[in-house]
Amino acid sequence: MNADIDSQSFLRFIVDRVNVGVVVLNKEMEVLLWNNFMELNSGYSSDDMIGKNLFESFSDLPKKWLEKKIKSVFILKNFAFTGWEQRSYLFRFKHNRPVTGNIDYMRQNCTFLPIMNDAGEVQAVCITVFDVTDTSIYQTKLKEAMGRLEEMSIRDGLTGIYNRRHLENQLASEFDRVRRYGGILSIILFDLDHFKNINDTYGHLAGDEVLKSISSRLEAVLRNSDIAGRYGGEEFTVILPNTDAEGAAILAERLRKEVEESEIIYDGQKIPVTISVGVTLLSDNIENHEMLLNQADTALYYCKENGRNQVKLFDKTMTLI
Amino acid sequence: MSIEPYSEDQRDALQEITNIAMGQAGSSLAQLLDVFVVLSVPRVRIVEVDSVPESVEEMVEEADCVTVARQAFYNNLRGETLVIFDHRGCKDMADLMGHDGSLDENAEEELILDVSNILVGAVLNGLGEQIETDFGFTAPNIMARSVPVDTVLSKETLGWSHALFIEVNFSLEDRGFKCHLIMLMPEESIELMRQSLDKILESF
Repeated sequence: MNADIDSQSFLRFIVDRVNVGVVVLNKEMEVLLWNNFMELNSGYSSDDMIGKNLFESFSDLPKKWLEKKIKSVFILKNFAFTGWEQRSYLFRFKHNRPVTGNIDYMRQNCTFLPIMNDAGEVQAVCITVFDVTDTSIYQTKLKEAMGRLEEMSIRDGLTGIYNRRHLENQLASEFDRVRRYGGILSIILFDLDHFKNINDTYGHLAGDEVLKSISSRLEAVLRNSDIAGRYGGEEFTVILPNTDAEGAAILAERLRKEVEESEIIYDGQKIPVTISVGVTLLSDNIENHEMLLNQADTALYYCKENGRNQVKLFDKTMTLI
Repeated sequence: MSIEPYSEDQRDALQEITNIAMGQAGSSLAQLLDVFVVLSVPRVRIVEVDSVPESVEEMVEEADCVTVARQAFYNNLRGETLVIFDHRGCKDMADLMGHDGSLDENAEEELILDVSNILVGAVLNGLGEQIETDFGFTAPNIMARSVPVDTVLSKETLGWSHALFIEVNFSLEDRGFKCHLIMLMPEESIELMRQSLDKILESF
């Protein structure tokens, strides 16, 4: 038995039957090899394809781009790739998840290999087509799940607005941004007045309803660039990039009024709600974002001391708490 | 683990073969795009893991928002390359690479992977020819998209102490496009490269 002949026929068999598409093209984009995988998936036999220009049989291929890609392999003598994440497929083939796939065509990763002669010139380009439909489905599901988790990790469970952790991260990065590139930054810290009384009088579920209602009103008052969230129990924070103290105070007053005039009804009863609002602007002497929060908290404290349901802008005469 | 630094001769030899390889990468890109490609003198050194994030940050000017393509190569030498792109360049390249119409996110990523692959392939083929090594490659993937550069390589995720660090900048004449290629070969590859360099030095 001649081992050499055997290994050649093995190779031919494997190239033909391996569960990967194998296509070889010459410089004129004519097909030199078309394996079984390609036959089964395209409906064109090897006899149909050999010697034919690839683009004549597959008019839906992105011709301009693909030609350029294949030519680059001839010129640069370098392999090339395409991945399903950027380009879902090269050949429009049906996939093997017709029931459970929920996608249109077979997802493919492709490799373009230069086939060189002894003189080091590229004679042909071999395209291998890998079916990555399953991988892509899992990956897509995983990505969606990760996205949902990420969203959940930055949201407050009760109100759906941002949580404290996210607010602090955002505030820290806004702080860094202003310190690095200049600009202005204000923040608002507000607190529901006598929230304990609301809980005691109307019950905790009513209290929850109030928090939810305030949150949705808050989002309605704010601009797109503002970042608002629930900082703690009945305490809320709003980060206002590119906003001076005056602008922040105007927004704070609008918010206070909106809450005061709001009709929060729970179980047929109208619950009166007011808020106390501390406002502060990032000034040069502030060393970190915690200090900024501390100033807003101080202004808020002065509101509380002064009879609540009001807005106060931090100033230097206030003693930091 | 302590690493014996390369001798002056070894460093010179490595610098020389790197220059040639990077030159080939530049000319590959130029050939493909039909534009003049400018490249910086490659920097070649052995780095400790602690200094890597800083080194990466240093070379990228617009550090706020970068996209990174990663690709691995292997033979007895193994390592990974990162090609770091800043944002304005990508759109500039679209028409040169034969993309029709406007560039959506996927097309932009594909472009980044294409350019990255061409550079990495050319550099490693160039390097491989000189040290008589035939590298295998993985397909490139997008490692990070629109992130600050200091988050690209964080110390905590790097499981090695020393690496051979090669970096070069590519830019296109008269265009905003710029990208930065970093090649990292950790630990034992430093010694294997030393042996290859000695072989080259002996042959002179």
